[in-house]
Parts: sequence; structure tokens; C-alpha cells
Amino acid sequence: MDDAQGTLARLPERAFWPQVRWQAGIFGAYFGQFVKTRLAYRMDFLVDTLGVLASIGIQLAVLTTLFSKVSALQGWSFEQVLFIYGFSLVPLGLFNLVSVNLYGFSDAYIIEGKFDRVLLRPVNPLAQVLCESFNISGLNEIALGLVVTVWAGIRLGLQPGALDVLALLVLAPTAALVYLGVFLAITAVSFWFEDRMGIAPPVYNVIRFSRYPLTIYSLPVRILLTFVLPFAWVAYYPATWFVGGADLKFVAALTPLVGLVVFGGAVLVWRRGVRNYTSTGT
Amino acid sequence: MSDVLIRVRDLTRDYRLIKRREGVVGGLVDLVRPRWSTLRAVADVSFDIAPGEMVGYIGANGAGKSTTIKMLTGILTPTGGEVTVGGLVPWKQRRQYTRHIGAVFGQRTQLWWDLAVVESFRLLKKIYEVPDDVYAAQMGVFNELLGIDEFLHQPVRKLSLGQRMRCDLAAALLHKPRILFLDEPTIGLDVVAKENVRRFLREIRDLQGVTVILTTHDLGDIEQLCRRVMIIDKGRVHFDGELEELRRRTGHRVRMTVDFREPTSGARLATVTAGLPVVWQEGEGRRHVAEFRRLDVAGADVIKRVVNDCPVRDLALAEPDIEEIVREIYRDSAAAAAPAPGRSA
Repeated sequence: MDDAQGTLARLPERAFWPQVRWQAGIFGAYFGQFVKTRLAYRMDFLVDTLGVLASIGIQLAVLTTLFSKVSALQGWSFEQVLFIYGFSLVPLGLFNLVSVNLYGFSDAYIIEGKFDRVLLRPVNPLAQVLCESFNISGLNEIALGLVVTVWAGIRLGLQPGALDVLALLVLAPTAALVYLGVFLAITAVSFWFEDRMGIAPPVYNVIRFSRYPLTIYSLPVRILLTFVLPFAWVAYYPATWFVGGADLKFVAALTPLVGLVVFGGAVLVWRRGVRNYTSTGT
Repeated sequence: MSDVLIRVRDLTRDYRLIKRREGVVGGLVDLVRPRWSTLRAVADVSFDIAPGEMVGYIGANGAGKSTTIKMLTGILTPTGGEVTVGGLVPWKQRRQYTRHIGAVFGQRTQLWWDLAVVESFRLLKKIYEVPDDVYAAQMGVFNELLGIDEFLHQPVRKLSLGQRMRCDLAAALLHKPRILFLDEPTIGLDVVAKENVRRFLREIRDLQGVTVILTTHDLGDIEQLCRRVMIIDKGRVHFDGELEELRRRTGHRVRMTVDFREPTSGARLATVTAGLPVVWQEGEGRRHVAEFRRLDVAGADVIKRVVNDCPVRDLALAEPDIEEIVREIYRDSAAAAAPAPGRSA
């Protein structure tokens, strides 16, 4: 190396886009490795696929039964509800794919000390934590969600244009950021407190509410899902781009903003947590 | 080699601990109004390390070793004092800094449990942006010196401890770091594996000039690797110098264990070595232990007397282990100065 004996060479900082590209490359490398280890257990993947299929099948059966009794739910037809439900699976799948290390973060990373290793590497700590494991069920949820959405879309007679395809590509990932942000913020709390009570599971259960049209709920629940635990932005609001009236398109278009704000806020909490970790050395 | 790579000045680190009250009510009160106490884990530590040095950093558990290493690696922010390594501040310029260091922390592997060894290396290559030619060259060196070829395609969880340590060393050095931090690199290894690790560290230092800081309990590690030793206890450095100097300070104390053919009394042994600066510890029956300093008396003289006067079956000389020396050094400096402040436990 060309470093002088007593100095360490400083590498030039990358500009924004090269940094994003590099980070994406790291993500790809981690994901590739993960898939390789999973390929060794093909049966697992099959079983998982069947499991996801079964759980989605049951929920579809419930919806079908429900709509065999009533023709509409607060003005929402079977196909519209189905569309929203299918759409909700796509952000959920994206979120589940990367969020697996957030559960048990406190045990594995803080108490067992795996976070030390993370800090020893020249990659963003959050990116490392999210990339170190994936939940392959996420891929199943994304695929099945798309199938349900497209099928419901056809039944509704939607004529998607290029703008709608673009909207799907933007809305689904940014909606996933809402989930990721909420759970990241909850996870970051374990930098200060060992999360013994486990706030994550009850919050995770609230996700279920986000799969159905928001208007079927009472006002307090609507307010809760829009502003407090903003899971309404994961499926209902973005899906109204496709199945709502023209007046709702504006609200749907706010989804990326909400996603970025929620996730950005969570990253700030996370960063403070990392600072607290390095200054208290839990 | 006169210039400084690692510069540490007045490094201090406090931990805040809750003083627990007793009982259920006390526990509730703790939640609302915790009483904090401060534990000074590292106190005013200063030293310089030159490029290419191999330094042994030793001390008992809880002495402040790992806290110091954590600050030097940038994992922990100090309460006070400063550290600059090659112009970088570890905890402030972490992403720049971590490219230049490698670390192996004791029993905990830095590798990915489920991945084949070679896949872990490929991932590290990507993370540290190791150029292809450097990667190939480093892998060549590791194969030659560590023989990692044999288990390159096995998942890390299937490796033996010795194999895993070899892989961890290779992983920590893959990006050709300037500094290598090792926390107990030989703990739990058998004699052969220990020897392999030590030989590798010597060779890689000669080959790539890497600066090594290692903590250990094993005097053998220090003897074979480090000319310089630092002893830390209760957060303070009590000794910083060459190993030879450390030995001289303890006067080359030796412990002699003798197994006699028949039960022998302590009084008899005292008369046997009368006139020699030898202290017999309390012993009974056939086994007795004596202590003396090589500076005061030659081992051969002591042995001659004992063997001539009593029927001896077996005899062994042992140097004190590192922990004993550490205790001794600490006793000396505790006697010289007032006890370190800020410690309650």
C-alpha cells in the first residue's frame, strides 16, 4: 500500500448516486448469498410457498363468504375489496423480505453483541442489519399479491396505462417504507431499553386492518390508521389510485411522501440509537 | 519506525450503572428515580504504538481490556481523552477507519454462520472493495500459511474451532488492513492449533507489516509474538515495556514442584535448603512446592541440594503464569500509589 508509515489513506467519499449504486450492489451480493444458502433447502421453500398460499387462500375464502351474503361493503364491491387486499400483499411482501432481522434485534445484535461486528465494517449499519437475512415468504406474498391484484383488476375492467404501471412501481415500494419505518422505529428503541415487553407483535397485528377499505372502520380507527400507525398508507390510500374515484388520486399520490417521511423519521431515531449504543456500550 | 501509528492520550471511559434498590417497591422506585453510579472502566490511558509493532495487552477479566479495544476499533466512544490512528479518529470517521483495520474478537466469529467459507470471503471482498488481484494474492497467502483450502467450501458452522479461527484470521486480513486487533486469538485451541496461529501471525507481520494489538491470557502468546507488553488493571496501565523487563521486575520467580518417594516434612525441607533464598509453601506428604527467584539463586543449586538429601521421584519447574505476574505488578503499584479512585466494585 502507498500509505506513509504513520498515516492511513483516506478514500474519496462517493457522490450520492455512485453511493446508491454501490449500496445496491452490496444488497445484491447479500441477497445472492442468501438465496444460495436457501437453495440447499428447496423443500423449505416449497413448504413456505404452500403455507403462504394456504393463509392467503383462507382470507380470500372469508372475503368470498362475506360477499356471498352482501353485495357491497360500505359501497365497496367484492372486486374492489379484493384489489385492495391483493395490493396490500405487495408492500407487505417487500417489507417481510427485508425486515426479518428487526425481530429479535435486541437479543441477537444488542445482547449477544452482533452489533459490534456491524460497526466494524465500512457499510452503513442499518443496511447491514437489513441485509444479513431475508424472509423468502416475502417473495411469495409479492407474487400472489400481484396475481390477486391483476385478477381483480381484470374483473373490474381496469384499462391500465403506462402511468398506472409507473404508479404501481412507485407506490408499492414507498408503501412498504411505511411498514419498515414503523417497525424500524420500534426496533431502534431497543438501543435504549431491552425490549422485554415486545411492542412489535401487537403492532404487527394492526397490519391486518390495513388490508381492507378504510371507510368500513369507525372514525377513531380511521384516524389511528391514517396518522398514528399510518398503515392505511400501505394499501388503502395507494390502491385508490387504481380503484378509487378521480378525486382520490391526489391522496394516493401522497403515499411516497408519507413513506419517505415515516421511514426518514425512523432512520433518525435509529441513528440516535446507534450513537447511544456507541456512547453507552451496552 | 520511529513514527507513531496509534496515539492514545488520557483515554477514559465511564459506565453508568443503576444502583438497584431491593424488593418490588425498590424496583418500581428504580424505574422512576434511578440512582446512578459511575464505573470507571478505563482511566487516563496513554500510549503510542509504532507501525509494525506487535503489542500484548493483558489484564484480568474486567480490567478494561475490551473497553480499550472497543474504543480503538471505533465501536465505543470514550468519555474523555483522545485516540488518533494514522490521522483518523476511530469513532468519528468510522467508515474510513474500518477499511484499515481487521479484528478477531475471541470466540465470536466474524463470518456468516450459514455461508460456505469462500462465500463469506467473496462478500467481504465486495464490502471492503478489495481489487481482484489483491484478493487473489491474499487468498494465495492464506492457503499457503493457513491451509484454508481444505475447508473453503464448508459452511462456517461445520468447522472446528481451530479451523474457524484460521478462517477468522484470514477474513480479518483479506482487505490488507494496516492494523489487526485480536482478542484472545488462541483461547480454547489445542497446542498444535495455537502454534499454527502464532506462526501465522509472525509470518503475516513479516510479510505485510501489519501492526498487531492482542489481548491474551496466555503467556506463550506474548512470549512468541510480542516484544512489548502492556498490563492493565482497574482501568489503569500498570506496566508498559518489554517482556524481558517484566520478567526482571518479578525477579524471574520460579515455582518448583517436587514429588518425593516417601512422605517428607516441611521442617526437614527447610533444613535441606537452609541458607538459600527458597520458600517452601505449606505441603504435606509426598508433594511439596518451593518458590525462589532466579535472580537470587540458580535453579541447579536448589535442585542439587534437594535431590542429594531426599529421594525424589519427579520434579518440575514452572514460571508464574501471566495472571500471577499481573497480580504482582498490580500489588506493587497499588502499594506505591493510593488505590485508583472512582471504583466501587
